[in-house]
Amino acid sequence: MTTEELFQVITELEPSAKQSEKTSDRPTVEVPPEALVALMQKLRDDPRLSFNMLLAHTAVDWLEERLFEMVYQLYSPQNQQYLAVLVYVPRNNPVVPTISSIWRIAEFQEREVYDLLGVLYDEHPDLRRLFLEDDWTGFPLRKSYQDDFILERPK
Amino acid sequence: MSVNITTLDERTRVTSEADSALDTEEYFVNMGPQHPATHGVLRMVLKLDGETIKEVIPVLGYIHRSIEKICEHSTYRQIVHLTDRMDYLSSIMNNWAVSLTVEKAANIELTERIEYIRTIVAELERIHSHQVAWGVMGMDLGAFTPFLYGFRDRELVTDILEETIGARLTMNYIQPGGVMFDIHPNFVKKVKEYIAYFRPKLDEYEDLMSGNPIIQQRLRDVGTMDGETALSYGATGPVLRASRVPYDLRKIEPYGVYGKADFNVAIGTAGDCWDRYYVRIEEMRQSIRIIEQLIDNIPEGKFMVKKPAVKIKVPEGRYYGHVETARGVLGVFIVSQGKDIPYRMYFRTPNFHNLWCTTAIAPGGRIGDLVAITASLDLVIPDIDR
Amino acid sequence: MGLVKKEEYAFDTMPGVDVVLTKIDYVVNWARSNSLWPLTFGTSCCAIEMLMATGGPRHDLARFGAEVTRPSPRQADLLILAGTIVKRMAPRLRTLYDQMAEPRYVIATGACTISGGPFLYHSYSTIRGADEIIPVDVYVPGCPPRPESLLHGLLTLQKLIKEGQTIRKPGVRHKPVISEIPEGVSREDITAEMVELLEHDSVVNIEETLGNLERPTGI
Ligand code: SF4
Repeated sequence: MTTEELFQVITELEPSAKQSEKTSDRPTVEVPPEALVALMQKLRDDPRLSFNMLLAHTAVDWLEERLFEMVYQLYSPQNQQYLAVLVYVPRNNPVVPTISSIWRIAEFQEREVYDLLGVLYDEHPDLRRLFLEDDWTGFPLRKSYQDDFILERPK
Repeated sequence: MSVNITTLDERTRVTSEADSALDTEEYFVNMGPQHPATHGVLRMVLKLDGETIKEVIPVLGYIHRSIEKICEHSTYRQIVHLTDRMDYLSSIMNNWAVSLTVEKAANIELTERIEYIRTIVAELERIHSHQVAWGVMGMDLGAFTPFLYGFRDRELVTDILEETIGARLTMNYIQPGGVMFDIHPNFVKKVKEYIAYFRPKLDEYEDLMSGNPIIQQRLRDVGTMDGETALSYGATGPVLRASRVPYDLRKIEPYGVYGKADFNVAIGTAGDCWDRYYVRIEEMRQSIRIIEQLIDNIPEGKFMVKKPAVKIKVPEGRYYGHVETARGVLGVFIVSQGKDIPYRMYFRTPNFHNLWCTTAIAPGGRIGDLVAITASLDLVIPDIDR
Repeated sequence: MGLVKKEEYAFDTMPGVDVVLTKIDYVVNWARSNSLWPLTFGTSCCAIEMLMATGGPRHDLARFGAEVTRPSPRQADLLILAGTIVKRMAPRLRTLYDQMAEPRYVIATGACTISGGPFLYHSYSTIRGADEIIPVDVYVPGCPPRPESLLHGLLTLQKLIKEGQTIRKPGVRHKPVISEIPEGVSREDITAEMVELLEHDSVVNIEETLGNLERPTGI
C-alpha cells in the first residue's frame, strides 16, 4: 500500500483526519481530539489497514505555541506500514481522550505522559503517577519546569 | 468528561474492597524494590488469595534517572552514552538505535565496513545478553550452576569486545557517523575461536537446563500469552516471538547488513515461559550463524565518516527510528529544531512495554510462577524507568 | 603460627614459651574482616559488573571470604552499593542500611554512588552521591568499575576494618561539585583544586595509614 492510498483510506474512514504538514520521516496524520478514539479504533479494525501495534505514545511540549503535541506511532505488520498520528491540545487545558480500551499498553504509556508532562486523559481507568512519588509537584518534562534541585552543566 | 487522578494508596484500598463478597481473605504483599528475583529495583504489589495471585500492580520509578530530560541538554554524541545505561546488556544496540535515527535524519552516508562491524558486535552482544538471561533464569528458579556457566562464557565475549572497545559493559561504541574505534587486529581470529568454543557449549546449556524435569515443570504452561494479548500489550522481542508473532526488525526491515545474512527468526508455539526461554537459546544459535557468515567478509574502508569533534546537526522535524535489541524494539523519537541538541527525545524501550505483560499473565498463577514469569520476560529495570 | 607471622604487629609471643598474647579487639576485627556478608543491592548497570561478574567464576569473590550474598539486610553486614540512587529509592536505601546488623560497612561502587556520575547535571531525580544518605567507607570509582577494582575496594575495606578505621558519621567528605563558577575563577583552577583535593582526601594510602597507627605493644 502506498502512502497516497493510505491517506485516502484514512480520510475515507475519518474525514476530520488530515495529512500533516509537519516534517516527519513517517506518514503522519493530524486529527482533532474528539475524533481520536474513533479514528484509532478504525485504524486497528479496518481489514485494509490493521494497525495492531501501538509502538509508542508520547507528547511534546511546545512552549511558544502553547500547545501539547500528542504523538502515536502505529505499525501494521500485515502491510508493513508505519503511521504517526498527531493530536494538538492547548497547554492550559490539556485533556485528551484515552485509547486504553483499544490497546492495553496505552493505559501505561498514558500514565507516563501524565506523570512527566501533566497531560490529562479523559476516562482513563487508572490515572496515577508512574515514575514519581504520588506527592511530587510539577511535571518535569515540561519546558517550564523549575526545580532548585537541578544542577546546570557549567558552560 | 471524567478525569480522575488516583494514588497508589487509593488503588490498593479500592481493589481490596472490590471482591469482599468472597469468603476467603485477600491481602496485599509487596515484592521489591529490594528483592533478589526482580533483577533490580522493580516493585510489584501483589493482591493475593492464599498463594494465588489475583492482581499484579507494578510500581516503578525506583531507578528513574531522568534520561529524557538530560537528553534535552546534550548533543547527539553525548546522548549515545546515556543510552548505554538504559538497557546495559544491549548497550551497543541502544547506541545503534540513536545513531541510526540521527544518521537517517542528517543524511549521513556510511561505509560498508561500518555496517559490517556494527552488525557483528551487535550480534556478539546479543549472545552475551542471552547468556546472562539464561544464567539468571536458572538462578531465579533455584539452580546456581547455570549462572556460573553463563558468566564463564560471557567473560570471553566481554574480553573480545574489550580489546576493541575498551569497555566491558557500557560500550559507547556506535556513534552517529560510524564506530568509535577500528576493530582490533585480533578481532576476527578471536571471534572465530569463540564461535568454535561456544557452539558445543550451547549444547551443554541445553543438557544442563532444557532437559531438566524441574525446569520443565516450572516453565511449561506457566504464564501463557497468546499473540493478540502480546500485541495489545506492546510486547516485542523474544516475548512477542514466543507468542507466535514473527516480528523481528532484523528480518522485516533489515538495517546494518542483516539483509546479507541468512538466518531464521525463532518463534514459539504456545507463548509460555518455556517458549520464551527456548526462543533465546535458538536466537543464540542464529546469532552465531550471522556472525559466521559476516566475519570473513569485513570490507576495507573508513570506520568513521565524521570527525569526532564535529557537532552533528539534525534538520528540523520529527524522526522515529528503531532497532531490535536483545529484549525487543528500542524506538528513538527525536523532535529537532535544527540544532545540535534535540528539542525532545523519547525512548520507546522494550522492557517498559514487556513489563506490563505480567499484569495480564500472572493473575491466576502462584507466587512462584511470577518469579518464573519475570525471569522469562528478562527485564532490565533501568530500561523501564529510564 | 602462620597467623602470628602474617599479622605480626597484633601479636606478642612470650619469649621462651609457646604463648600468644593479643588484644581481643584485634582478633574480633580480624575475624570480621574475613567474613563479610554482602547484601545484594544492585539498582542498575553496576550490579552486573559488581555483583554478578565479581561473584561469577572468573573473578570469584569467594576467594576473599565475601561470597555469602544475602538478599535480606538483617543477615548482612556489608552493603555494596551498585548503581544509581534516585530520590524515590533514597528512603528505602536508608531503611535497608538501618536494618543491617552492627557493625556494618558500606562500599560505594561506580560514579553514580560517588557523585551522581553521568546523571549529575540536569537531572531532577538522581541523588548526587550515596554519602548524602548513608556513611560510606570505601569508594570504588569507574562507570562501571572493573571487577578487579571492587576486589581492591574489598581488600581496602578489610584493612580498614582490621585497624578499626571505618566511618560511621555522614558528611565526613566534602565533595567538590561545581554548580556555578564565580567570577575570576577559571575551569582550570577548579580542576587543579579538585585534583589536589582528591589526592589529599579520598585516596586512602593504606601503607601510610597503617604506618601511622599505634601498634599494640604487649600487655
Ligand atoms: S556508575 Fe555508570 S555503570 Fe555504574 S550505575 Fe552509574 S551509570 Fe551505571
